Parts: sequence; C-alpha cells; structure tokens
Amino acid sequence: MNAIEIKNLTRDYGADKGIFDLSFSVEEGEVFGFLGPNGAGKTTTIRHLMGFIRQKTGNCSVNGLNCWERRDEIQKSLGYIPGELSLFDDISGSDYLRFIADYRGLKDLSRMNAVIERFELNPKGKIKKMSKGMKQKVGIAAAFMHDPKIYILDEPTSGLDPLMQSRFIDLITEERRRGKTVLMSSHTFEEVEKTCRRVGIIRAGRLAAIDSVDALKAKQLKKYTVTFENSDDARKFCLEGFDAAPAGGNSVNVTVENKVGKLITALAKYNVMNLSAPQLALEEIFMQYYGGKKNA
Amino acid sequence: MLSLPLYKKELKGTAKTLLILAAVAALYVSVIVSIYDPEAMALFDQYVEMMPGLMAALGMTANAGTLIGFMSSYLYGFLLLVLPMLFSMLTANKLVARYVDKGGMASLLAAPVRRSKIVTTQAAVLMTGIVSFIVFITVLELITTSVSFPGRLDVGKLLLLNFGLLCLQLFLGGVCFLFSCLFSDGKYAVGAGVGIPLLMFVLKMLSNTGEKAKIIKYVTFFSLFDSNGLISGNGLAIAGIFILLSLSAVLFYSASIIFCKKDMHV
Repeated sequence: MNAIEIKNLTRDYGADKGIFDLSFSVEEGEVFGFLGPNGAGKTTTIRHLMGFIRQKTGNCSVNGLNCWERRDEIQKSLGYIPGELSLFDDISGSDYLRFIADYRGLKDLSRMNAVIERFELNPKGKIKKMSKGMKQKVGIAAAFMHDPKIYILDEPTSGLDPLMQSRFIDLITEERRRGKTVLMSSHTFEEVEKTCRRVGIIRAGRLAAIDSVDALKAKQLKKYTVTFENSDDARKFCLEGFDAAPAGGNSVNVTVENKVGKLITALAKYNVMNLSAPQLALEEIFMQYYGGKKNA
Repeated sequence: MLSLPLYKKELKGTAKTLLILAAVAALYVSVIVSIYDPEAMALFDQYVEMMPGLMAALGMTANAGTLIGFMSSYLYGFLLLVLPMLFSMLTANKLVARYVDKGGMASLLAAPVRRSKIVTTQAAVLMTGIVSFIVFITVLELITTSVSFPGRLDVGKLLLLNFGLLCLQLFLGGVCFLFSCLFSDGKYAVGAGVGIPLLMFVLKMLSNTGEKAKIIKYVTFFSLFDSNGLISGNGLAIAGIFILLSLSAVLFYSASIIFCKKDMHV
C-alpha cells in the first residue's frame, strides 16, 4: 500500500503560483526526497498532506485516509517538521516539548529524550532567544517524540550545522531501517541523495521528474573548474575536445559525462594549479536531466 | 470536548492580562463605592448640571439616589464596559489569529486533536476569563458595599445587573473571537476585533449626549445592555440581555465553524 498518495492535486494561487496537476506516491517504508527550488510548491503540497488546507481539485491521502477529512486520525501516526518553524515564543524549549507531549496524550518520553541527547540540545532556555539551529532541534524532538510511522519533514536540516546535519541523516537512516516512511523536502540534491531511495523534483508547481537517486546520479554530468598556471595553457586545453568553456582568468569550466579518467589524463600534461567541483544547483541537475528542455 | 493541556497553557498565558485589568477595576470599584454618600451625591449632581453633555457621555446621570442606582450610573456606563472589553480584545486575538499569523498554529494542528476541540478550548479560555472577571467584580462589590454601607445594597438587583453585564461581555468576546477566527492576518483580526466594538462604544457615548443624538442608540449593540432599565425591572432591558446572550452563542458557534473549515497557511 502507498503510505502517501497524491492524485492530480491542483491549487492555483494565480500568477503561476501554486501546484498544478501534481501526482505521485510514496510507498510504505520508503524514504522519498521532495526537491524543488524555493517557491516551487513543496510547502503547499505538504500543507495539503497535513490537512492544513483543503483539496480543491484532485485529492491526497495518507495511509488511505483523506488528508482533509481525516486529518486528526492521520496525525496519530505522523511526525511533522514545518518548513518555517514557528514554535511558541514565550515559553522555554522544555516547556514546549512537555506541552506537545501532553497535548498529544503521550506518556512515554523516552524517544523525545533520545533525540534531545542525540542532538545535544539544551531545551531549557526561552524559545525566543534560541538560535535557528536550536529551534530546529526542538522541532525535530517534537516531530519524533511519539515514534510515528510516517514523517513529513519540510526542509528538516535548515539551520543545523554540518555535524548535526549528518546526525540527522543517521537518524533518518535508522528510521528507514525500522520501516518508517519519510517524505523529506529539500532544495539541494546533496542532502537527499544520502538518505532517499527515490526523488521527485517539483518545478513551478509541476512535477518535473521522479526517479531513483541512482538513476539521477548516473545521468548527472560532472562539472569541474580547472585553474591553469597561465592563460596559454587554458587556451590550449580548450582545444582538447572536451566540453570546456573559459571561466575568466586562467580558469576553465569543463563538463564530462563519465570520461573523468580521460580528463585526468589530459590534465596531466598541464601545470594545473587547482581543480574544484562546484556544487551543482538543483536547477542545473534538472536541466541536465532533461537536456535543457524547460517544460519537459 | 476540551483539550485540557491546551486549556491550562492558555489560562496561564491570559492570567497576566486578566490580573492587571481586574486590579484596575478593583481600584475603581472600591473608590467609587467608598465615595457614595449624600454629600458627594450632591456634588456629582452639580457636575451633571454644570456639564450634562460630558457626564452623560460617560454614562453618569443624576438621580442616583440608591446605592445600586449610584453604582449603575458611575460604574456600568463606562468602566465596567471598557475593562472586560479590553480583556476580550487582547485575548481573543492572542488565542487564534496570532497563532495563525505567526505560524504557531502548526504545532496545534499537527497533533491528533480535532480542530473543533482546539477552537472550543480557545473559546472556553476566553469565556473563563470573562466570567472570572465579572464574578470577581461581583464579589468585590458585595464586599466593599457590605463593609461601607451594610444593608443598603439591593443584592438581587446587583446580581441581575452583573448577569446583564456578563451577557454583554460574552457578546463582545464573541465579536472579537469571530474576527480572530475569520482573519488569518493578525492586522485585520485586530483591526476588526478592536475597531468594531470600539466604534459601537463611541456611538453609545454619543447617543447619551442629548435628545438629538438619541437616535444613534438604535445602531449600537451597547444599547441592548440598559443598566438603569435592568435595575427598574424593565421588561425590554431584560429581553435585551437575553438577546445578547443568544447572539454571543451564535458568534462563538460561527467562529468555530469558520475555524474548522478554513485553510491555514501555517
């Protein structure tokens, strides 16, 4: 059975904002990456799944239950981290977590304490005075405390430092092994490739691609920036037959598909000062995937 | 059908506002009650003769002979209308609109608690505050009058008067709560929730100022609470408070329907 099912969901906010005829599903026990640039419609989709907003056209369900009509039943086994985390400002983190536990009718706080320990969170201070990362940790503890079956996480690692990000990835990996279903949104490919099996890419409210992480990676072109000792070398290298473009100064951007070895052999002839692989923007991965066709 | 943890949390959150406003009310009530005596009465009547317009606008009229009549004129025309109303304005906005506006509502919705339960709880918090306020005022009035003027207060009439005040304040609370649920933008919720009751109150004050302005009283809902009418046992005045009570039920009910059906962009 599909844990999360979205069928022809449309929500038009005008001016090409919103989501349009969106359909995809997440299997039970699957970790699904929901990728898209800012403003692509990830949060709007998630609000539908959470039952915050009504489905106008099309429908969506979690565990076979309609997201709007059965929202309170769905919430029993769902953990959620909002994209724009906004907790109650006027109380301390521990008061907030205790309140959420009481409010959910949760007695066993062992999961919550485990998360607090894992992320080295000190929840004692007022939420108002917490840094973004601290607040994010409180949000994670609130989402994981009741050991739900399904997680809907809207950019869950925003604000976390790299160490905590990797701990979060460990946590998700563990949850996957325990058979949990996860839908995790992000705007970078790097974040989801470590945890997700499948990825859906949303762009301007429309589903642009949906594929396994491996397939996306295989099709992914590799881009490097090579800095030569002088501009003569750079000019000479551009004539080697690679997909290369001058990048100012002595640098050249070169794109290869899977001939990385050939590139290294070719570079060995030159005096290379620096070789770097800039992080590809999601848009670029998307463009590569679709060969530049904008509305494929 | 309440969420007890939420109810407790919100009561704590509103206690400060309630305590401050109740303290102000307590101060005024005890001062006003303590200055009741025939000589001071004559002084007040003089003021009324000197500047009838201003005093009438504040709901203060002459012939406040009895203690209850005196209290009705000097407390129930302005102070006890405004203070609980202020509480409703501040609290109603905090209970719903601000959560939606600032995003904290997501924490309340992302739990296996029905929206109807959330909104009922928030309404109950507001009503608890209003009822406590009026009960506190009533007890305070009973104590201060029995200390200063034992046996001179018609307790039955005071209770009726305060029940009427409660109906009015529940109605005002309902207006504020409805706008708090209706608008997702805090600006509009506050604008309408504060603006409309305040406008009605100003109209009520204007309608007191003279014969020509009397017609205004038909457009402000404050006229449904007629304190002097209640004391004299006027049937229309008693009907008025029951109209207020029924309307407040309608307002709170509509607010909860709106809350359950609306899109929350949190």
